[in-house]
Formats: sequence, C-alpha cells, structure tokens
Amino acid sequence: MNSADTKKWYYMLPIISIAILLGGWMLVAQGEGSMIPTPYATLMRFLDICVHPISKAVLPVHMWMSLKRVLIAFVFAIVLGIGLGVGLGWSTSFHAFADPVFEILRPIPPIAWIPLVILWCGIGELPKVVIVFIGSFVPIVLNTYSGIKEIDSLLINAGLVLGANRRQLLTEITLPATTPAILAGIRTALSSGWMCVVAAEMIAAKQGVGFLIVRGQESGDTALIVACMLVIGVVSLLLSTILSKLEGVLCPWQFSKTK
Amino acid sequence: MENKKKNKMKYLCMSLVGLLIFFGIWELSVRLGWVSDRTLSPPSTVIGTFIFKLTNANPDGSTLPQHFMQSLKLALSSFVVAVVIGVPLGWVMGYYKVASFLLNPIFEIIRPIPPIAWIPIIILTMGIGMPAKMFIIFVAAFVPCVINSYLGIRLTDPVRINVAKTFGASEWEIFTTVCIPSSMNMVFTGIRLSLNNSWTTLVAAEMLASTRGLGYMIQLGRTLIRPDIIIVGMFTIGITGALLNNILAMFEKKVAPWRYRE
Amino acid sequence: MAVLKNKISLKNISKTFYLKDRTVEVLKDITFDVKENEFLVLLGPGQCGKTVMLNIMADLEKQTSGAIEFDGSRPTMGDLGVVFQKYALFPWKTVIGNVEMNQKLKGVDKETRRAKAREYINLVGLQGFESSLPKQLSGGMKQRVGIARAYASESDIMLMDEPFGALDAQTRYQMEDEIIKIWEKNKRTIVFVTNNVEEAVYLGDRILLLASRPSYIKKEYIVDLPRPRSQTDRAFLELRNEIVENTDLDI
Repeated sequence: MNSADTKKWYYMLPIISIAILLGGWMLVAQGEGSMIPTPYATLMRFLDICVHPISKAVLPVHMWMSLKRVLIAFVFAIVLGIGLGVGLGWSTSFHAFADPVFEILRPIPPIAWIPLVILWCGIGELPKVVIVFIGSFVPIVLNTYSGIKEIDSLLINAGLVLGANRRQLLTEITLPATTPAILAGIRTALSSGWMCVVAAEMIAAKQGVGFLIVRGQESGDTALIVACMLVIGVVSLLLSTILSKLEGVLCPWQFSKTK
Repeated sequence: MENKKKNKMKYLCMSLVGLLIFFGIWELSVRLGWVSDRTLSPPSTVIGTFIFKLTNANPDGSTLPQHFMQSLKLALSSFVVAVVIGVPLGWVMGYYKVASFLLNPIFEIIRPIPPIAWIPIIILTMGIGMPAKMFIIFVAAFVPCVINSYLGIRLTDPVRINVAKTFGASEWEIFTTVCIPSSMNMVFTGIRLSLNNSWTTLVAAEMLASTRGLGYMIQLGRTLIRPDIIIVGMFTIGITGALLNNILAMFEKKVAPWRYRE
Repeated sequence: MAVLKNKISLKNISKTFYLKDRTVEVLKDITFDVKENEFLVLLGPGQCGKTVMLNIMADLEKQTSGAIEFDGSRPTMGDLGVVFQKYALFPWKTVIGNVEMNQKLKGVDKETRRAKAREYINLVGLQGFESSLPKQLSGGMKQRVGIARAYASESDIMLMDEPFGALDAQTRYQMEDEIIKIWEKNKRTIVFVTNNVEEAVYLGDRILLLASRPSYIKKEYIVDLPRPRSQTDRAFLELRNEIVENTDLDI
C-alpha cells in the first residue's frame, strides 16, 4: 500500500468507527427485552419533542430555560469571581483575611450544595441559578488568582520602570497579562455550570433539559433520555465553540493564530 | 528579617479574624433569629450533630461512618477501574493511528455529555444497585483518563522520538520508553480530573438513587428539613474530596517528582 | 577632550541576599562613575550579578550598603530607560502601544504620545510595523521595540541588560551596528551589560570588567578604537585577547 492509499484508509476509519458505534447501539437496542431505544426511535422522539410539548413546553423552550439559568448565573459568577480572584491575588492582606474561608468552602462540590440551596430558596428559578453560580464561581476565582500569582515578574518590572503606579500596575499590566488565565477559568466554569444546571434540574425542576431526562426516567421513556443526553452534549459543545471564538476576539495575542 | 516575622504574625491574625467573622456571623445569624433554623444550623449545632451522627443511625438509617465508607468504597473502586482501563487505552489511542481514528470520534461524541446526565439511563437499564452506581462513576472517571493520556502521547516532543530512533529503538521501545514517560504529566492531570469527577458524580448518583451514602444523607436531610445533617454531609464530602486530592498529590510526588519544583 | 560630567556615581555598593539557609554576597564594594553620553559596558561572566547591579541603578532592588548618586536628583520610576534581555514587551499591546506605554502611564494625551512613539519607531527602523503584535515579530525586531520603548521615556540614561543575549549570532551583529547608529543619532548615556567580550569591545567607550561571585570591578579598559570598528582589526583583537585573559572562567 502506498502512502496515499494509507491516508485514504485513515480517513475512512472515523466513518467506520461511527458505523460501529451505531451498529453496536442497534444491536444492544434490539436485544430481547432491552431498555435501550434504537437510534431511529431516539431520532423520532427528538423530532417529536421539538413539536409536541412535555410539561407545557417543547424541547427548544426547555433548552432555553436551562440556558437562561446558566447565563444569568454566569454574569454574576464572572463579575464576582474575577473581583474576588483579583482581590486574593493582588492584596496579601485580603488574601490572608479571606482565603481560609474560601479554602473551607471550595472543596465542596457544587452539587452537594443543592439540598441546602433548595432549603434556602425554595424550588423556583433562584435555587438553580444559585447552584450554577456556585459551580462557575469557584473555577473563575481560582484561575484569576493563580493567573495573577504566576504573572511574569519581568512584565511587572517593565511596568515599574516605565513609571506605573500601583493602580496602573493592576489595570495596565496585571489584568491584561492575566486575561488568558481568566478566560481559561471561564471555560472551566462554563462546562461546570452546564453540568450544575442539568443536575439541579434533575433534582428539582419543572422545566429544563435536566427535568426532561428525569421525566424520561420516571415514565420509562428511554428514547427521551437518550435524545436529551445527546442534546445536552451538543449544547455543551456549541457553548465551548462560541467561547473559543470569543477568546480569539478578546485575547488575540494569545489565542488567534494570525501570523 | 524582623519585618518578615512581624508581617507573618499580622497575616496570621488576619486569617484568624477572617475565620472568626465567618463563623461568628454564621452562628449569630441563626441564634439571633435573622435566619430561620429551618434553613440554616449554627456551627455549634452542626458540630453536635456531627458527633451524634458518628455513632447514631437516626434519622436516616445509617451512621456517618457507614455512609462515608459506602461512598468511599464506591468512588474509589470505580475510579481505580477507570484509571486502569482508561490510561492504557488513551496511550494506545495516542500512539497507534488506527486506534486513534477508530476510537476518537466515539470519545468526541461522549465527552461533552456531563456524567450526571448518564444517571437516568443507567438506572433504568441496570437498576439502583451497586453495579449501576459503579458504572455511572466509571463513565465519569473514564473519559478524562483516556483523553489526557491520549493527548500526553500526541504531545510527545518529536525530538525525543528521533533521539530514540537514532539509538535504534524499535516502535515498541519508543512507545514504552519515550512516549509513555513523556505523557505522564498529562496522565496525572487526567487522573486528577478523574478523581474529582468521580467524587462529584458519586454525590449526584447517591442523591438521585440510593439508600445509603453521603449524597443520600444530604438529600434526606433536605426532605426532613434538617440543615444540620445537610451541612455535616457537605463538609464531610468537601473534606474527603480535598483529602483524596492531597493523597493523590503525595503519590504523584513519589512517582513523578519532576512535576514539582523544590 | 573636555572633562565630562558624571551622570551616575556608584559608591561602595554591596549587595547580599539572605536566603533561608545561607547568605550570598553578590556585589562587593563596587564604585564607578558613568559619564555623560558615554557608552559604558559592564562585562562579566554569567550569573555574576550584573543584572542585580542594573536593577539597583533602576531602583528595582535596594543595595545592602553604599550609595548611588545621580547628576541632579535621582530619576523616579518612569524617568529611566531600561531594555531587558528577554524583551519584556507587553504581548497584548501592539508595537506602538508598547512604545507609548511610558507616556500613557504619565497621562500624556493620545495624540502627543502617539506622535512621539512614531518618532522612536522610526528611529529604530520599525516604520510600517506600528500595529503588529509582538508575537508577529522576530527576536531582533522585538528588541528594537524594546529599545524604542526605553528611548521613548525621554530619559538621558539608558540601562541595557544583555539586550542581545537571546538573539542568534547574525541578528546580534546587526543589532550591535543598529544600537551604535541609534546612539550616534540620539546621544544618551548608555550602561550596557553583556557577557560577550567581542560585543563589549565592539560597542563600548569604556569597559568595566567584573569578577565573579562576589562581583567587584577587576579592571577598567578605555576603548579608543575609532568607529565604525572592525572585529578583525588587529588592535581590536589585541584588546579582546587581553580582556579574555583577565576574565574569570564561567563555570
């Protein structure tokens, strides 16, 4: 086989791989008494819930409910998270004061907050937003903080000899230099936030994609579950693609490949 | 020199003040009735409940150590299985192109689905016993192991591979003596993520379907409106997570000391 | 030659670092003057404390003992041009954004500082690259930006810390010619640190040879070779060899 043939062969492999995945899926689904829906049934169920409402809403509306919760929480998480991260990284006194408390709360997984938050805020919109906030706040704080701590001291020295005072050192040098780290934190925060909204909706909600999955579980509607899982995956992929684009715009010196 | 010591004392004091304010406000907010004791328990009560739960199975059917052991056993066993299968699979995918082209698309499809979303389908098909939960946690821990080991091999510095080639190393020798050692950094990152994922997913799985375990305990605490039990559970989960992380870090230091500076 | 006035005088400067388990004496009793508009080279083996000395002059570090005096009052931060070995450009700023930084921090309005920045970009021969990002430039071009940025502080003292140390040999020769051109066009007092003997002899009016660990001034050489100098010139080579023989081996 020459190398061109080998190459062609390699490009065939992903198709084969997807075919194997689908084939295996069908095989499992068609087994005697199998609970797994066939790919076809899943697709049909997906199209069905796009038009026929479950719990008074069609799939796009459920999705929008979940996204809205994430976005609202995200705005707060970004503003407060960057604020706290900068405070911890920039002021040794503030770090000494606030870090121990943060360290105590940080290792608690956001999902473990769900019961307490439900006790606090009932079962409306607020508890979901709060849980997503907790899940996305922590990675933003941590990345901002370590971004500031790991800043190249050469850049600080350059800023100093160019005459930056302490405030300018923060706004003109430290913050721009930390932007890539902050963006990395936002990326982690987004996937964590999306996971949290699904979890929160699974535990207590009347709308949202997480709710749909649990509805599927309660009614034994596995096609609904699998369709929702794939939708959740696709949304999460879309969110991270949008974020990558945003990184290129906000931070061209780091992310864009233009030469 | 004197100044440094003085500063250290100052910061230590500030840390204490910070903690004192945090716990003080927490305690007083309930004691003075600003917050209802049906939504929050003061630290003093939480400590009392913690001591009580150490030996008493009320009101949730198991003592805290029983819950704890149940959760730990589940999380660790699935985590270990995921690492043992996932890391070598990632290595093979990274080194052998056929494996990569064949398996990568499948992982690209599975990766973005949060592990928690797997819970309902697994419960429906496998029930709510040990195997179902183990499988859920396995899925959560498996994916980061594979992906990071895969990337670790792919990111091997080609110069190192060329050096090995000039020494006459065989493909297999290059794989085992060059690629795998250089991938260890990424592998450990993957293992860390894995551990985190399995602990988080465990809590979720126990909250959704279980009769024992820390996740079950906090979920029941919510139903019984017992914030003290929830908070005991939250801190147990948090502290255990942090401890597991530290143990892994210590292990890393032994196995891969180059990851740490002096 | 007229007597030149002193721009900077270092008097008995010493610097000791106190580490956890030991103390390291880096600079030992260093005394010298820097004269107005001269090109002074501090030559010493790697790790001998040259950077520390420069940092003390730039007020980034404090000496353990000794005094440093400037002609007039000590320049405050921002009134001293410093060129760093690893460029230390701000990666998020364009070329012109880097060069105008000093003026921006001083609160000069945009139009004025842009005009001034352009002037210095032209001086280092980077016209046309004003809006490029540092990552789009080669090493030599990056250091031109570094030099323009230092010049744009309008200070009459320039401190340069092995500015060409990270460049490949070819670019290094080019930049050595370039820095002399820039200096002759726009005379300032330059303190130039290097570990490269040829570079020192090629550039300097005067060379201070430093010993290693702790650093003290071993010898002073006046280089009165006419410019432009040639590295294969006999007098050049003789001076070079003499310095090499006196240099501490860099282990």
